[in-house]
Amino acid sequence: MKEKIEFLLKINQLKEIPRTGWVWREVENPETIAEHTFRLMFITWLLAGKRKLNIGRAMKVALFHDLCEVYAGDLTPILYYPSLPKDKEKRKKVLMKWARLSREEKEKIGKKKYQKEKKALFKLVKFLDPSLKNEIISLWIGYEKNSSLEGRFVQQLNRIETLIQSIEYFGTKNITEHTNWWEWTNEIVSDPILLEFLKAIQKKFYQLPFSLKRKELTDILNFLLEIGKLKRMPRLYWILRGIKNPETVAGHIFTVAIVAWLFGQERKEFNVEKLLKMALCHELSAVYTGDTTPYDRILPKDEKGRKKVLEKMLRLSKKEKEWIFLKDFKKEKKAIEKLTRKIPQRKEILELWEDYRKRISKEAKFLSQLNTLSVLLQGLIYEKEGQISAAPLWEYAFETCDHPLALQLMEEMKKKFYG
Amino acid sequence: MPITRKFYLTKEGLRRLRKEYEDLKRLREAKSKQEPPAILHSEDLNPEYLVFQEDLTFLEFRLAELDQILKNAQLIKTPPKGKRNIVNLGATVTLEDKDGTINEFTIVGTLEANPNEGKISSESPIGRALLGRKVGEEVVITSPIRVVYKIKKIKYQLS
Repeated sequence: MKEKIEFLLKINQLKEIPRTGWVWREVENPETIAEHTFRLMFITWLLAGKRKLNIGRAMKVALFHDLCEVYAGDLTPILYYPSLPKDKEKRKKVLMKWARLSREEKEKIGKKKYQKEKKALFKLVKFLDPSLKNEIISLWIGYEKNSSLEGRFVQQLNRIETLIQSIEYFGTKNITEHTNWWEWTNEIVSDPILLEFLKAIQKKFYQLPFSLKRKELTDILNFLLEIGKLKRMPRLYWILRGIKNPETVAGHIFTVAIVAWLFGQERKEFNVEKLLKMALCHELSAVYTGDTTPYDRILPKDEKGRKKVLEKMLRLSKKEKEWIFLKDFKKEKKAIEKLTRKIPQRKEILELWEDYRKRISKEAKFLSQLNTLSVLLQGLIYEKEGQISAAPLWEYAFETCDHPLALQLMEEMKKKFYG
Repeated sequence: MPITRKFYLTKEGLRRLRKEYEDLKRLREAKSKQEPPAILHSEDLNPEYLVFQEDLTFLEFRLAELDQILKNAQLIKTPPKGKRNIVNLGATVTLEDKDGTINEFTIVGTLEANPNEGKISSESPIGRALLGRKVGEEVVITSPIRVVYKIKKIKYQLS
């Protein structure tokens, strides 16, 4: 258990590390590695089924693909642009295009990147239980070496997700801005469905007259653009508590996904694929409702009064709690229905979300406790930084957790943060 | 993935996959005997296979995948002399950008593709754009943004 907490604390850094490519291109407040992973997991879920791949395994490949960056950093741009000009304009011109290198140089860099990342990943998982450690390593190797079906698929999706992000950042007016990402993507995509997905992107953003065999690809693209908002949406609760630059909703979802895998994988009673999908869905309504907290409907308007209420867990009668739940549930359900109205996985997403909100299945009950503990862990990190007191989060955890594993995790957190 | 699909591999790629298949079969055998498997300490064993030590499901999955690939493998051969000025599977293509910078790709089957190392799949948009083209020709390798290269050299060095 102790090792798992250490692992989670390391992984948590991925919510703070921005992707180097965007930093170099001076994108303001760019996405973090965790936020990119969130949408990559989603696109993997939505498209892997069309290839008859093992969706759960493919989602795990996506979840693990950048974990090594905790220690290795985001190496791709650093290694593939070994000598960037110092002059700002010249530098920009070079970065506009994807690296031009000889085959020997590419091979040398590729091998170096693999070795560095492998070393970093082994360091990260060193103290995990063998079955967990081996799952991360083997799925990551299959991805990096392109040697597994799911690995090859997620490699391609990784570049497509980044391409979509580049269009979101740079727009399509000055298209040379993201030449780089088109080149980078066109090097790798070979799956027929993903090649058609690239056409759907071109049709939407560049109005190219492609006729698509699979119309739903455009709907999936639109859905991905909508959920991209969660990468830029800071968690409201932390804002209310006065945290500077708090985690985003997408960052939080990433944590819940990794926690779900870490604690669900070894328990045969749980369907891990369901846990991962549910983790991705559990805050999806925020796309339209904005992030919400249980305090929203009762917070006083004056700052002093608000602070006082936020210092403690909500004190409400059963009736008041039921009323809040019902109001929120209706509002959120409407948002999820609107968001998923055109995608093929609509029914599955709605069912998973409703199951989670009503805590029906054993996965939903377990995940809601892991969600509480993910928030608690983040709160403890902020508390350690001197930003807040985690007292109300402890209170909430005591109220909601009853699974032996969740209780054990709480005990370990106490030891870790309070000695 | 359809069973009849052909997997194009270089000689080296095919050798590597065959070796992996044999090694993993030996590993499975050693594990089924529940003896401390000597193979795990063999210098021949790729350390990456060690991740299969604990988990037989992964081992079985990879073995099934390799079995499928090896049954449908097709060796990439150097084309006859008269056709070596045309880009085909196995070719290393040297491209020149308008500003004179050089970029190189080796065109391989999807299984050996690793763009990080300059090996790209013949089925990728860039692979498709290059296949069948000759030295001196101009090629548009991306859309919607046009990136134009001139093919400077085509080399076959299949191992």
